Amino acid sequence: MSAPTRVLGTEVRAAPRPTGEVPTLADTLRSEWTKMRTLRSTKVTLGVTALIVIGLSALITWASVASPHHGTQAFTNPLGVIQAGWGLGWLAFEVLGALVVTNEYSSGMIAATFLATPRRVRVLAAKGAVLSVVVGLLSLVMTFVNFYVGHAVLSAYPAFPEPALGDNNVLRAVLGMALTSTLMALIGFALGAVLRHTAGAITASVAVLFVLPLILQALPTSWRNPVEEYWPTQAGSQLEQVTRQAHALTAWWGTGDLALFVALLLVVAGVLLVRRDA
Amino acid sequence: MIQVRNLTKRFGAKTAVNNLSFDVQPGLVTGFLGPNGAGKTTTLRAIVGLVRPDAGAVTVNGTNYHDILAPTHEVGALLEAKAYHPGRRARDHLVALAQASRIPNRRVDEVLGLVGLADAGKRKAGTFSLGMAQRLGIAAALLGDPPVLLLDEPVNGLDPEGIVWVRTLMQALAAEGRTVLVSSHLMSEMALTATHVVVIGRGKLIADSSIEELVRASSGSRVRLRTPLAGALVPHLLAAGGTVQPGDDGALMVSGLEPDAVGDIAFKAQAPVHELARLEASLEEAFMELTQEDSEFRAQGVTGAPAARQGWGAAARGGADGAGAPAGTGTGGQAGAWPGAPAGDGAPAGTSAPPAQGWPAARQGWSGPA
Repeated sequence: MSAPTRVLGTEVRAAPRPTGEVPTLADTLRSEWTKMRTLRSTKVTLGVTALIVIGLSALITWASVASPHHGTQAFTNPLGVIQAGWGLGWLAFEVLGALVVTNEYSSGMIAATFLATPRRVRVLAAKGAVLSVVVGLLSLVMTFVNFYVGHAVLSAYPAFPEPALGDNNVLRAVLGMALTSTLMALIGFALGAVLRHTAGAITASVAVLFVLPLILQALPTSWRNPVEEYWPTQAGSQLEQVTRQAHALTAWWGTGDLALFVALLLVVAGVLLVRRDA
Repeated sequence: MIQVRNLTKRFGAKTAVNNLSFDVQPGLVTGFLGPNGAGKTTTLRAIVGLVRPDAGAVTVNGTNYHDILAPTHEVGALLEAKAYHPGRRARDHLVALAQASRIPNRRVDEVLGLVGLADAGKRKAGTFSLGMAQRLGIAAALLGDPPVLLLDEPVNGLDPEGIVWVRTLMQALAAEGRTVLVSSHLMSEMALTATHVVVIGRGKLIADSSIEELVRASSGSRVRLRTPLAGALVPHLLAAGGTVQPGDDGALMVSGLEPDAVGDIAFKAQAPVHELARLEASLEEAFMELTQEDSEFRAQGVTGAPAARQGWGAAARGGADGAGAPAGTGTGGQAGAWPGAPAGDGAPAGTSAPPAQGWPAARQGWSGPA
């Protein structure tokens, strides 16, 4: 094919042969990490989330021991008080997870992403993995800082018990916060991949985390208890309970319930991603 | 080489691309033309697997895009100018894309220089003008040094210097033996850039030919004749199968006849000829003629036909206003009127299609009132 040929009357050279190496999952992971790393908004969101969770938790801890009316919680469940700010953190991680996908749809970047990596499931896997590692590591640091800050607040009030990492299930609850947070981020991520719109994905995340559990409160107890028991975000939060709650799964069954929910959402997201037009 | 075979894509009730087949040859800049909503972008997106065809197939160098192992090295595409996150620096955007395709960062700086953004790499892409966005998109398309390039409206938003740059770049890429498919609605630009054109309207193939053939086949090519005996000559011209319109300054504008035939007729009729000239239609006129039935969006009462056509236009407009017909079924009678469109599979949408007699519908429509 080195000799010039004629196409439609025009002399042309042979087309250059493509010479590129075949990319692997590792390349997709590297690319997704670069995307995450190079957006200032992501870093700001993560930093603000860490500050709010730790600050809010410290504030709630202080308020619950400083005011005599609210002290009972700090007696019965001191770790629950220390970790009180994490509900907001979970929501922030869900939103971040959603944005990782919906950002690409709203900007049009998704086309460039799928051009480079037509295997869309690989893109989903790489994005999810990078998100999980980032949220997992950050929340791991956050949960220990949160524990020691809360511990310090409690130790200023000698009337209240101070949980120690060596106490029954306390270390599990502290470490578990990183796992639960990661799964929450993946809920937002999968919802983002399914809905492809930032606002829709955030609304759905809020619904799963806060609104539907609230609606459950309006149901008669006989209905409410079994639903609440298995509702994924409720079930998943049992990992942070030092003592088992009434009408709730055990810590690990609850986490398994949440993980199963996340897995199902991710499968739906993967199937839709492959079937739909980008 | 890109092969589109019987491509059909529906969005709900609307058929965006309807049984479309054509080839794009290497070594040429091929213009991809059609009115807004004709299905150009859908077709381009189907080529790179962003859109799943409902029927038919698209291959690039014989392979479905999804099955290409290193796609960035095989096909480069500029589909949307702003296919990037506005908060990311231009260079970081390219680095992320390069990494996904196992391309070294060295190449990122190379393409940034190539498109003239070497100094803007550190800027957030969101601060870019449309012209710079186009350059960044072209840089992304060139990352893998691909032998096949797809560019959707690449000159949109570029300044005149940028337009010349894109034109030169595309021609240089084609001269290197690459396959270059460029969509545009700017006919004047395509006339300068492309050698070959594929014209679609309402998702169907209207023409697949060289620009030269397209313009020659257009009924817009006509003969200008000035004679003091115009009135006596017109019946002879009509009898010979021509269509005659009064031009400005009393000249006759004859279509359907070659200049030598017009000269011979004038000679036989003993009409002194003061001026005799062939007027080539522009690509724009040829395009308007081809697609005026197929424009999806058209202002009521105003056709896209150039003003010079006023004398002819009435019948065509009155007779064939297909704007209200559902896009999916097409305008049935009209579809058959384009023998140039490939009827089934197998038949390559060859280089010769459509031949000159491929436009009888248009001609008959216009010659009526004369």
